[in-house]
Amino acid sequence: MTLDVPTTVKLASYVGAGFCIGLGAIGAALGEGFTAGLANQSISSDPRKSGDIIKNMLVGQAIAESAGIFALVIAILLIFLESPGTSLVKAAALVGAGLSMGLGAVGSGIGSGYPGGKACLGISMQPTVSGRLTTNMLIGSAVCQTPAIFSMVIALMLMFLDFGKGAVSPTWAALLGAGICMGFGAIGSGIGSGYPGGEACLGIARQPTASGLLTTNMLIGSAVCQTPAIFSMVIALMLMFLDFGKAPPSPTWAALLGAGISTGLAAIGSGMGGGMAAGASCEGVARNPDTIGQTTTTMLVGQAVSQTPSIFGLLVSLILMFKVYPEATTLAAPMALLGAGLCMGAGGIGPGIGNGMTAQGAVTWVARNIEAAGVLTRTMLVGQAVSQSTAIYAMVVSLVLMFVV
Amino acid sequence: MEDLTKIPQFVIKIFGVNLVFNVETIIMSWIVMAALILFGILATRKIDFLPNPFQVVAEFIIGAFYSLTKDALDAKMAKKYFPLICGLFMFLLLSNWLGILPKLSEPTRDLNTTLGFGVLGFFIAHHAGIKAKGFKGYASGYFQPIFFMAPLNVIGELAKVISISFRLYGNILGGSIIILIVSHLIYGLVLPPVLICFFGLFVGSIQAFVFTMLTLVYISVQVK
Repeated sequence: MTLDVPTTVKLASYVGAGFCIGLGAIGAALGEGFTAGLANQSISSDPRKSGDIIKNMLVGQAIAESAGIFALVIAILLIFLESPGTSLVKAAALVGAGLSMGLGAVGSGIGSGYPGGKACLGISMQPTVSGRLTTNMLIGSAVCQTPAIFSMVIALMLMFLDFGKGAVSPTWAALLGAGICMGFGAIGSGIGSGYPGGEACLGIARQPTASGLLTTNMLIGSAVCQTPAIFSMVIALMLMFLDFGKAPPSPTWAALLGAGISTGLAAIGSGMGGGMAAGASCEGVARNPDTIGQTTTTMLVGQAVSQTPSIFGLLVSLILMFKVYPEATTLAAPMALLGAGLCMGAGGIGPGIGNGMTAQGAVTWVARNIEAAGVLTRTMLVGQAVSQSTAIYAMVVSLVLMFVV
Repeated sequence: MEDLTKIPQFVIKIFGVNLVFNVETIIMSWIVMAALILFGILATRKIDFLPNPFQVVAEFIIGAFYSLTKDALDAKMAKKYFPLICGLFMFLLLSNWLGILPKLSEPTRDLNTTLGFGVLGFFIAHHAGIKAKGFKGYASGYFQPIFFMAPLNVIGELAKVISISFRLYGNILGGSIIILIVSHLIYGLVLPPVLICFFGLFVGSIQAFVFTMLTLVYISVQVK
């Protein structure tokens, strides 16, 4: 059995399609299940409103489903694509496209489930504002879909742009890395921006007069949650459009793959962490709308510090991409660079979520006890600095792997 | 696509040392400074009980940041550090907004600018810490919780400089790269302006505020 180039490209597109819809089906299903579960709870607490609640549940599920539908569209395109690619670079690009869309749909699917479910609960608590709740749910879930849309854009670019000009060897890694980076990077932001959406829906039911403030606060919080996904998109675009053809193939392929993995994985924790802080802020504003200024300030500082691990990931990726490497004859140098990316990426997940938990606690209590805002913010920062130290260890080790080994 | 990460540079050779100037960044920072000085003159020229529009904006910014500084530090120290905090915010805000005008670019798109402000904040925070607690009290902070944590505490402090400056740089550069690539790929009248508004005005304002607040709370963590 021999493999010529067009056959390999075709095979790669089938593998990509499998990754795409296989992974992409995870998130949407989880999100819809969460919505339906809370809809059951809401109906049992107020059975007379079952019509409104079921209608809201179906609308919420439809939005959560759209992440899965994006993945389905990309998978079908991958299967039936008459690929223009004549080089093996196209094969890597197609697998990357599948990974980008498949992984990217996970977070948005899960995240969109939260506003849907919490809006159902809200309708059972406060049936008079059901229209406003559905509107807020639609806005919140639509923001959750942003990372999936980023992933779809990167996947479409990987499928339809022509990358055939560069040399095969480092370019395949750049394109595969771009797909991996965007795919992983979209997970955290998708899940994270669901938290403020859900809490804002619950808050509107609790405090209908503050609904304008809550929607604004939700939008600011969930827009800042997108930062890790935006970092991943930037690294993915750089990997796709910068020219790596002149660099020696042997260690560069590992560096480019590592650059994608580093930012992609590190963005998972930061996205989720930022979402936790934003959710606590929406909950706090609903409890006491007068505290909105201080609560939003603490939320922004908390989110910014939660994003630090993804910034370390970005730093490692930039160094991996722009460092000049000598030609490597053994496998040691490529493995050190790949290890640097993996180390920073995986090491960034936990600190991001941990910092988010700290910020969540601080924001929750600032809203309840505004006089103590100064000392709460300081305590949050000191706690986050300690929780972040593991990300710093990971960064030190990956810098050692890049510069010393 | 080659202009993705290109920075125009101007090199002077003095005594065998190459002095490299990033021309665009320097000119853009001067534009921001000139605009701020003009704003200051317009706001304070005729201070009146019935304020002119510039005075209203200036009073709003100063009032908001004075109360933020007072909450984080105390009233006595707020008087000392407030001009820095307020000036930093106004400079960064205008820098991040500059990119929405054609032909101009954000000075904060250059890592040198943001790293400069990060290092500035680092030294000011540590100077404030030494002044407030004395050198012994300041230095003993590094040996918490146990003495052998000292190297890691030092690395942790240095990592703050990296994170604060790369946060601003990454957001602004990321926005401009996304705008550049989107406007290369589609010829639309709708999407690029929307993206410019989102990244320039919204993300720019949030990141200017976050940078300023982080500088402030880093000072506050050191002195308390």
